[in-house]
Amino acid sequence: MTNPSMLEIARRAVESAKAKGASEAAAAAGLSREVKVGWRDGKVEKISEATSRGLSLQLYVDGRYSAVSTSDLRAEAVEDFVGKAVALARALAPDPFRKLPDPELYQGQAEIDLELEDPGYDKITAEQRRRIAQALEESARAVKGAEAIVSVTTDFSDGWSETARVASNGFEGVRRDTAYWPVAEVTVRDPDGRRPEEYDYAGVCHFGDLPELAALGRRAAERALQRIGSKKGESATLTLAIDNRASGRLVSYLLGPLAASALQQKHSMFEGKLGQQIGSPMLDLADDPLIVRGLGSRLFDREGIAARRLPVFEAGVLRGYYVDNYYGRKLEMRPTTSGTTNLAWKLGEKSQAELLAQMKEGILVTGFLGGNSNGTTGDFSLGIQGFRVRGGVLAEPVAEMNISGNHLELWKRLVAVGNDPFAYSNLRTPTLVFEGVQVAGT
Amino acid sequence: MSDDRISRRQFMGVSAATIAAAAMGESLLGCSRAAVRPTGATGGIGYFGQFGVDEPLVRNTLAAALGRGGEYADLFFQHRITNYMGLEDGEVNRASINTELGVGVRVVKGDQTGYAYTEDFSPESLKRAAETAAAVAEGPARQAPPSFRVSDGKAQRYPMQVSWEGVEPKQKLPILADLNARALKADARIKKVSLSLTDEVGVILVADSLGRLVEDFQPMTTLSLSCTAEEKGRRESNRYGSAGRAGFEFYSPERLDRVLSEAVARTTILFEAGQPPAGELPVVLAAGSSGILLHEAIGHGMEADFNRKGVSIFADRMGKPVAKPIVSIVDDGSLDGSRGAINVDDEGNLAGRTVLVDQGVLASYMHDSISAKHYGVEPTGNGRRQSYAFAPVPRMRATYMLPGPHTKDEIIASVKKGILAETFTNGQVQIGAGDFTFYVKNGWLIEDGKLSRPIKDVNLIGNGPKVLEQIDMVADDMAIDEGTWMCGKDGQSVPVSLGMPTVRVASVTVGGRG
Repeated sequence: MTNPSMLEIARRAVESAKAKGASEAAAAAGLSREVKVGWRDGKVEKISEATSRGLSLQLYVDGRYSAVSTSDLRAEAVEDFVGKAVALARALAPDPFRKLPDPELYQGQAEIDLELEDPGYDKITAEQRRRIAQALEESARAVKGAEAIVSVTTDFSDGWSETARVASNGFEGVRRDTAYWPVAEVTVRDPDGRRPEEYDYAGVCHFGDLPELAALGRRAAERALQRIGSKKGESATLTLAIDNRASGRLVSYLLGPLAASALQQKHSMFEGKLGQQIGSPMLDLADDPLIVRGLGSRLFDREGIAARRLPVFEAGVLRGYYVDNYYGRKLEMRPTTSGTTNLAWKLGEKSQAELLAQMKEGILVTGFLGGNSNGTTGDFSLGIQGFRVRGGVLAEPVAEMNISGNHLELWKRLVAVGNDPFAYSNLRTPTLVFEGVQVAGT
Repeated sequence: MSDDRISRRQFMGVSAATIAAAAMGESLLGCSRAAVRPTGATGGIGYFGQFGVDEPLVRNTLAAALGRGGEYADLFFQHRITNYMGLEDGEVNRASINTELGVGVRVVKGDQTGYAYTEDFSPESLKRAAETAAAVAEGPARQAPPSFRVSDGKAQRYPMQVSWEGVEPKQKLPILADLNARALKADARIKKVSLSLTDEVGVILVADSLGRLVEDFQPMTTLSLSCTAEEKGRRESNRYGSAGRAGFEFYSPERLDRVLSEAVARTTILFEAGQPPAGELPVVLAAGSSGILLHEAIGHGMEADFNRKGVSIFADRMGKPVAKPIVSIVDDGSLDGSRGAINVDDEGNLAGRTVLVDQGVLASYMHDSISAKHYGVEPTGNGRRQSYAFAPVPRMRATYMLPGPHTKDEIIASVKKGILAETFTNGQVQIGAGDFTFYVKNGWLIEDGKLSRPIKDVNLIGNGPKVLEQIDMVADDMAIDEGTWMCGKDGQSVPVSLGMPTVRVASVTVGGRG
């Protein structure tokens, strides 16, 4: 399945760029294969399959910058678009900060096998995919209360990809990875006329790491059935536990403002706050690109910079930003890495059930709906659904509610972190518990 | 922020559809090959040459697609070139060109779909894609059409007066440089300005097993201005964007003035803005982009695929009242030059105006050809896709409410304590439960029938059918928003338009504070 020509295509594009007048250039060429089997209510609903190619090229011409990308890899087409990109760059203003990374940053790649490619990928058959999708539905329909189910949609998708990156100042790298994503979605009928839906899924690099699929389908159905009878609760200030599958959404709003681009463009709530207390001592996480079989793992970032662990928050204190090459030069900061890989959290010792028992009264948030966060000020407002927690256990389901606040205050009220990092997202969030959150309802 | 690989593979929450204003400089797209050229008004098939294919190759590919008993097959050829140019820190110093060239092969049997695509137009590669898609069916081969005919009757909703293909980078530069200088001058508090200008020309060619050949030429352009302002150690950011299917003539002095003044005003007012109270309040929606409420509260729920599967909260409500008789809602592909305009959908069907709610009564779903067949109705021209890499599904185009009997002034005067929601960034809906949200970036508190103070950054949450019933006043000032709206569904994004007259909703949960 490997295609050694991706590296060759990237090399040729860089050479072509230099021949046409670029002083420096970097290219990424990718080949990917994605297969998906969708299943609904007893039969295959959709199959899709494709092998796709693409090339992107960054050019540095006379102190100016442009970029091109294309799905058209025919040699004459590539020559043509490189020529156009060189002409385009020449029409722009010079930018003294546009340079390839200092080659020194390419050095020191970790010498470990991240195991991102499943060597058995080619052995997965169409029949196997179909059986997995079918089994997911059957297990969803086998739960108690299944007569309330309106529809079950499941799918199994998998993919293989290879990306080669070449930079004219001495970087070459190839990465290959595989991924498998089983998903089950269940819609149920609520006597009040609503048709609440829920889902469960997994995502892994190796087929052998897939969880028990019957449990996955069952959980999707149970989650949907638990939504029946959900009501809007009263507006109040409450303790909130956020389920580990949902909490990544909240955490993601911290990541954008940690980027050097946001700092430099002055739309980050974290500008000038390095070394300051942002959250409670429970907020403790690092960006860790080197987790074996991690969904966000990599040996080098998209600029070729060798990937290293980046402390982000330590005991609530801000320790690091995501600094890429370009904005690093603008800010005179040393580049760290150009984006989130995996988050490695300092975990607590309690399970979610133990945390709920401890909090006694409040809401367990199982999902967010819409909303947004102002990265400049930290103000956020997000729709939520979940369950009331009474006497330390789950009580009635709640929906159509909203939480609002400011991240710079919210994270100081993080009072507990679970022992349960969510395995199927690169953010690997545990259950998080916050005190004193403003909840809007009736 | 995330690695490309993650963002592609990361699981995107299911059961939910979203909308958001396209982010600044988001579409970094690129170029190659022959320039895209529109053919004459209707003419013959002008794009065979562009794709390097001919009728026998199309027929052979369709024959392979039908080789295992599929009832219907189509090929979707696409070539799209998108240019981006950006300004940051005072200089136009970044630009990119993206080229998408590929063909998707779809095979349908009943409600089952097989799909494959390729970027390689060789006969072998097309055949392989067709055979892959064909595998969804099992049965004896069907025949490819012996001949093709070019569909006629297509409208021309986005003629370009100044085609992007003749526009040089140096013609675009002054637009950005000038807006930057004027934004910094407009208000001393503005500290950072960034701008992005994109233009896109695309051609599609649909060939299907009924022997239809349909082509369309589809331009698009967007301009977005973002700024950050500082006042007494506080910072606020906001943006404004304008989008449409048009050529370079789109950027009239009036439009550029509006982009500038809206971006500055929407940013600087945030220093005076606070949070509204939390809880259920009457909400007045301003004319224009408040159409986001329709998009989420009813639009997605009226896409026929969700109803065919029984998973929409509107599944059993056709022909029944869902709102007061002053409420009529349409989804319209025919608004000339708008972001949501299409001459034909991505299945080659003519795209007109679909009445979703007629004087309060649920009137029609939005169909693609699969759902139209299921319901025994004509397709409504809502079968859309992000690109050749995706099978089409029912999608909105421009969704808006028709004008009503009230005036904006009387609606605001009628509210004792509530909010006026003016500008929005994004929304989301759960199709089956009907719960939806939309995020208000700018608005006002209304006290005793008057606007009292600005508000910002608040999410509104409601239930679609309940909120529709609660719309009790509709004004006569319907406006279509020009924003850069992108709608997401099933992992595919398509451009859409929104519109609304000023309306009053008796009660919505406002996610405020205090």
